[in-house]
Amino acid sequence: MSARAEPEAAAQHAEEGPSPRALTYTLIALLVLAGLSLALRFAHLGGFSFLAALLIAVIKASLVAVVFMEFLHEKPTVRFAFATGLSLFALLVVLLVADVLTRTIPPLSNPPGTAQRYHG
Amino acid sequence: MPEQVAEQFEDLEKQAHAARLGMWVFLGSEVLFFSGLFALYTGYRTEHPYGFGVGVEHNTIAWGSVNTGVLLVSSYTVAMAVHMLRRGRNTASALLLGATIFLGLVFLGIKTGEYLKHFSDGIYPGGWGHFFEEHGDPGTKMFFTLYYCMTGLHAIHVFAGMCVLSLLLWKVLRRDIGAWAPHPLAIGAVYWHLVDMIWIFLWPLFYLIPGASQS
Repeated sequence: MSARAEPEAAAQHAEEGPSPRALTYTLIALLVLAGLSLALRFAHLGGFSFLAALLIAVIKASLVAVVFMEFLHEKPTVRFAFATGLSLFALLVVLLVADVLTRTIPPLSNPPGTAQRYHG
Repeated sequence: MPEQVAEQFEDLEKQAHAARLGMWVFLGSEVLFFSGLFALYTGYRTEHPYGFGVGVEHNTIAWGSVNTGVLLVSSYTVAMAVHMLRRGRNTASALLLGATIFLGLVFLGIKTGEYLKHFSDGIYPGGWGHFFEEHGDPGTKMFFTLYYCMTGLHAIHVFAGMCVLSLLLWKVLRRDIGAWAPHPLAIGAVYWHLVDMIWIFLWPLFYLIPGASQS
């Protein structure tokens, strides 16, 4: 069966997707957020610079996913498939950071006759 | 020649959904593929904030920032290409796809220039090179090893995305795909967006976030 012979399907596809205006506004928002990230690089926020930069990156990635990738318009099976990957990624990073931050066991001492070990 | 519906599918919509599901499962596996490296970065940065700060300080912010802009604009052009194809404007879609592939080339060109600069500075993967005689902190060695691994893998993905988009450009020009079946291009575009999304995180990690030496 030829797909070209399906005018309903073609009309449905033509209606899908964000408008050029929405795409353009999203690009502008992404560039503004990138500029904000760059400005914060020189703001000397101390320990908050890591958090601020990653927060802006998450917002930018969400914009790309929602508008450009049309993630929210996908069916639940598609959303579930990708959300599984993201969830496992988050789990890995959170558990790893929790492990590194809460280590209390001191490093092993140097074996006799060996050079000074670097402990980080 | 327009795309045919494969015999195992009732209609084009179900075939398109199966293809989209397959792509998103693949993207989920790509996220997991990179997640190990992001986790390594987070763990080592937590243990070596000073060494990572030295590495961030050495990278050229301007090049990383220009590449960020290039990839963001390329995401826009490929999204517009999909939009045009859905409305049957194959020529406009092909031009936008060509612009996207060109921007991918610009990105890889800048990245290559950065690598060459690092090599001339004596920075090689694995902590090799005379740069590390001055900056001997293990964190700096780990920073640049992760830098080469993560940005190198990302560059390979950019190249793969350019190959996919080139094939789709050919199909758009031959009118193998069009408004009656735009999903092959939409799926290829989603892959390109993921490549952009990964760089959105690589940029602050390797160029923007100062380490303990600066904050």
